[in-house]
Amino acid sequence: MLEQLLVFTRGGLILWACREISKALQGSPIDALIRSCLLEERSGAVSYNYDVPGASYTLKWTFHNELGLVFVAVYQRILHLLYVDDLLAMVKKEFAGIYDPKRTEYDEFEAIFQQLRMEAEARAEEMKKSAVQVGAKVGGRKLELVGKGRSDQGGKRGGSSGDGGDGELGKGRSFENGHVNGGVREEKGSVDGKKELVTQNGAFDVNKLQQKIRSKGGKKTDTVTTKGSKAEPKKKMVKKNRVWDDSPPEVKLDFTDPVDEKGDDNVKFVAVDEGESMMDKEEIVSSDSEVDEDEQVEGDGNGETKKKGWFSSMFQSIAGKANLEKADLEPALKALKDRLMTKNVAEEIAEKLCESVAASLEGKKLASFTRVSSTVQAAMEEALVRILTPNRSIDILRGVHAAKEQGKPYVIVFIGVNGVGKSTNLAKVAYWLLQHKVSVMMAACDTFRSGAVEQLRTHARRLQIPIFEKGYEKDPAVVAKEAIQEAARNGSDVVLVDTAGRMQDNEPLMRALSKLINLNDPDLVLFVGEALVGNDAVDQLTKFNQKLADLSTSQRPRLIDGILLTKFDTIDDKVGAALSMVYISGAPVMFVGCGQSYTDLKKLNVKSIVKTLLK
Amino acid sequence: MDEIEQWKAKIQELVDPFQQQIQQKIQNIPDIQLYTAVAIIFVTLILSVIVRLSKKKKSNTIILAGLSGSGKTVLFYQLQDGSSHQGTVTSMEPNEGTFVLHSELNKKVKIRPVHIVDLPGHSRLRPKLDDYLPQSAGLVFVVDALEFLSTCRAAAEYLYDILTKATVVKKKVPVLILCNKTEKVTAHSKEFIRKQLEKEIDKLRASRTAISDADISSEYTLGVPGQPFQFSQCTNKVTVGEASGLTGEISQVEQFIREHVKS
Repeated sequence: MLEQLLVFTRGGLILWACREISKALQGSPIDALIRSCLLEERSGAVSYNYDVPGASYTLKWTFHNELGLVFVAVYQRILHLLYVDDLLAMVKKEFAGIYDPKRTEYDEFEAIFQQLRMEAEARAEEMKKSAVQVGAKVGGRKLELVGKGRSDQGGKRGGSSGDGGDGELGKGRSFENGHVNGGVREEKGSVDGKKELVTQNGAFDVNKLQQKIRSKGGKKTDTVTTKGSKAEPKKKMVKKNRVWDDSPPEVKLDFTDPVDEKGDDNVKFVAVDEGESMMDKEEIVSSDSEVDEDEQVEGDGNGETKKKGWFSSMFQSIAGKANLEKADLEPALKALKDRLMTKNVAEEIAEKLCESVAASLEGKKLASFTRVSSTVQAAMEEALVRILTPNRSIDILRGVHAAKEQGKPYVIVFIGVNGVGKSTNLAKVAYWLLQHKVSVMMAACDTFRSGAVEQLRTHARRLQIPIFEKGYEKDPAVVAKEAIQEAARNGSDVVLVDTAGRMQDNEPLMRALSKLINLNDPDLVLFVGEALVGNDAVDQLTKFNQKLADLSTSQRPRLIDGILLTKFDTIDDKVGAALSMVYISGAPVMFVGCGQSYTDLKKLNVKSIVKTLLK
Repeated sequence: MDEIEQWKAKIQELVDPFQQQIQQKIQNIPDIQLYTAVAIIFVTLILSVIVRLSKKKKSNTIILAGLSGSGKTVLFYQLQDGSSHQGTVTSMEPNEGTFVLHSELNKKVKIRPVHIVDLPGHSRLRPKLDDYLPQSAGLVFVVDALEFLSTCRAAAEYLYDILTKATVVKKKVPVLILCNKTEKVTAHSKEFIRKQLEKEIDKLRASRTAISDADISSEYTLGVPGQPFQFSQCTNKVTVGEASGLTGEISQVEQFIREHVKS
């Protein structure tokens, strides 16, 4: 049964809510929907799931862009209502008929809504009945699964795996992200999970089959527990050297000079002073080139739509009466998507962005004297500015001061894949903090890579800051914990923790990282990503976030809080990686590394990035 | 190109006789009259420009800003219609309206309508503030008095950003810090809120001005360096008030609006 159906304006005023349903919604699903989905430019997605202790809802929505209205339907996730999309479309049509900008009460809509709902339910019933007969639709099968008790196990297993196949085909468009997950798969997971405990060993291994289905959906129920049990015995074994091929294990190579660790008092380095860090310099964005840009853009847009209906589009652009349809937006959006992809934006992200912009423009009236391409361009620009604007404070100094008041050091952990520039940029951040009279301490928790500790030691000597190190082959989580205790003891304000680079698919290393973060609860988890990365950025960030969430033991897992974009000087104008990373993780870009010396650290200039992306 | 030249030639032909006539007529007018005519036109132009500059048209725009969930949209509809209707959700776009305040509708005197802009509080939509600030006559910063302690830092940062914007400082835009949701029992008092905000802004001042003079975000420093920050040190007028959007107790807001939008 539908929990709630709301109609509200884009400005926030609720125009109509279904009066019949007296039960209030738990939590605030509508606000969560707006904040994490619609304002994050994910409005092209199919549905949104909202979980709160005591209830789990799924929300579906539709826009009426011309009048600036939003229609949202909320229902319990376990009930799989098929008629919701249908109902929303009908409600949109009817409401648009009676809408008046001056009015704020629409009580008579109640009757119309009841009628529409009954019609939609009836249609869904019919479809279900025909599905039962034909036996090919997903919905019917599911009702059978829920309704029937423990009957022929083999048949049901076949049914459930068949459902899995259908479900995946059907939900092929929705993307696999923690947020927007096909409600089908989750529901199946819970239903099958219960059945699984009951079923005995069948002809084929049900566990493996269901695990495969579930793992594709990214659900963490049984897979993690089984993997966890596998990992337990592994942990008890002593850490072995990594063997790359069949060569015999080598003798331990540790060239650390034992004298060096004590002897660095003799070598006094003068503290490095390379001037002001670029973080504090204002970036002058040239605006005089905007005019040329617009003309260039017009030229491109013109080229696209030249042959097809030139006269009609000219007429429309002057008269400005046409309602934008999906077909009209297609070519302009495709051109924009291609342009974004040439700027190194991940393909998936560009696709989703275009869908979101299409959802927000459909049905809108073209203003007079504007072309479709310029409207689409303006909407895309606004969307990009919205995504890249940080949604939480990126003022680290404020956080440092707050932690100082509480008497604890402010802990920043640098994570990322191999070779992105964690150690280099850690030194740059330390330099910047030093310029603001903050006392910094480094913690060398990269105990794997040869030379990592020495590298940090050199930086520490040049910057004249203390460094906490325990050499190689130690547990990084423990090293970090001790480093933080040491910092609290000697009164350092900030602790910068360097970790080893790791691939996002490497399960044991991700587990170790998760352990480090859980054990130490840092104030800022900074993901270091290079600007040269292409489509892999999406994979890296999703897997990192997923592993941090899954393998966390606490109630509220720590996810990536910020992004540090490196090697920005090596890309000329292919700045798309910034957009991909911010979109996929929701975390703001806190620093941008643009060179290899201490001063090459700046803030992200949103306007200039958007301009470069759309050039 | 040839076509254009042809057109030019044709136009020249048409205009030529008129040109000659006008030249003759001008030559006929005595010099003094010509000069006086030009002088009069010149003087009139200068006078009109002076008059337009001196008569500064006072804007009638009031901005409602604040964190998400502080009650701005409810306040907007209270001012416009006298009730908050069926409730609100997080705004995605600004609400704008030019109207006479609902409580003043029954007055017989002709009152100038006020243009009120309710800006979304969500951090991703903050840049919209810069679009409306130049034409504003006053800003109401709405603070949630109920959830104040958990949102104090974010509110103080937003308020600090507003108070240090160039437009606000140069045009001395008056700010009313409105403590909303005071009908609830556990809401904090406005004195407490004022003191907390002053303390937070003081800390922000210390951390932001430690940065060298070219800080991107804040363009001006607040208050007197060396002394703890107080709202009375701002060059523009900053006052604190209380209100309750849901019950309609918005008299202090209306007073602020009437004070700064003169009819």
